[in-house]
Amino acid sequence: MALVTPETKLCDVILDEPSAITVINRFGISLGVGDKNVRTICAQKGIDINFFLTILNAYIYESFFPENGFDSFGAQEIIEYLEKTNQSYLKYQLPNIERHFKALIGHSDKNNNLPLLLNLYKEVKEEIIKRIDNDNKHWFAEILRHEKDVAPGQLTIEASDTQRTADSIEDKLSDLKNMFVIHLRGDYDRNLCQAVLFAIINFEKDIRQNNRIRNHILYPLAVALKKASSTNN
Amino acid sequence: MQTVNIAVITRDTILAVGLKHLIRNMFGIKATIIPSVADNLPTEYANTDLFITDSEGFATNPEFFIPRRNRTMVIAATCNCNDSKGMLLDRHADETTIISRLTEAIDQVCDTLGTGNELSQREIDVLAQVASGYTNKEIADNLSISVNTVLTHRKNITAKLGIKSVSGLSVYAMMNGYISSVPDSTKSNI
Repeated sequence: MALVTPETKLCDVILDEPSAITVINRFGISLGVGDKNVRTICAQKGIDINFFLTILNAYIYESFFPENGFDSFGAQEIIEYLEKTNQSYLKYQLPNIERHFKALIGHSDKNNNLPLLLNLYKEVKEEIIKRIDNDNKHWFAEILRHEKDVAPGQLTIEASDTQRTADSIEDKLSDLKNMFVIHLRGDYDRNLCQAVLFAIINFEKDIRQNNRIRNHILYPLAVALKKASSTNN
Repeated sequence: MQTVNIAVITRDTILAVGLKHLIRNMFGIKATIIPSVADNLPTEYANTDLFITDSEGFATNPEFFIPRRNRTMVIAATCNCNDSKGMLLDRHADETTIISRLTEAIDQVCDTLGTGNELSQREIDVLAQVASGYTNKEIADNLSISVNTVLTHRKNITAKLGIKSVSGLSVYAMMNGYISSVPDSTKSNI
């Protein structure tokens, strides 16, 4: 599929890339999108179309990376999106995987590997909850505080030199996926197992894309804001 | 398919060519044709995983084939070998039987070769230590190897298993009985 543009029909985006539903939901768009294009839907919902397209394309295409394209967005806008993302993890995605996982274990009583995998999942979950807590209490608040101190145009954003490629949440989700695909042994309920695996694969992709926004967009912006803010004071 | 070395050893060219093409088409493996069993076979073909020869080839050079009988398939000119559990192939059997006997032989060779992803004993030792929460330095001391060697083993373990995190490795080690429980110290080491 080609990059999503203002003229692309949103239904085509979802039909081609169903995992994008989670991103679209975060902008307040629900299923039943009709055959309207992105421009119309954004106008109706009051969504900043450039921001929507950038996030959506960054999510769908791992190679799409608007190093400069995000400069036009403020920290507030990015943080609002990340907060919605965090909320959807806490409210829907994390509990959903756990619910499926428990059903799988309940229907696969002879398999003692699955509880070990659930423990690994719970560890990832704890780490995500801890990160979200830190976002809410410290990181996001600090960035927004600095943004208030800095006049527009005062900012010099330098490309992130910290690639932060090693992310323990991403690693563990990838490990969990590989445990199912490569190393799973014994009897288990195949149908439920597929549900768990698909949920994990989708979630891993979501986390990976979310990390790109955090590490390559918000992090350099935060560094620049902090620097500019301390110069002012 | 992985690299499997098969040598067809016979003076019967039409048999050799037929087998070579059958093996290539059915299994994607390129077999080598050796017209006769020469004296230089043992060293030159030491890496061969499966030898296919006819009874003449076998009879000409038993001292070569007998030590390698586990990986030698003999095409017998006579019948009555359908029940044989050995690696015998009845050249008069029907096409389905011949193909299924070949499949069994090649599968057996592949099983012996393994997937190349199994951990070596030393890697298992390192894995058990990593999973138990030891640091690289402690592992090096415990196993009397250098830290660099520990790092190499860890890199290979991750490449073979597709598991990167210490937590993931601990779960894998438990699933396979390399450790009995995940120590709390692992969590602080992640």
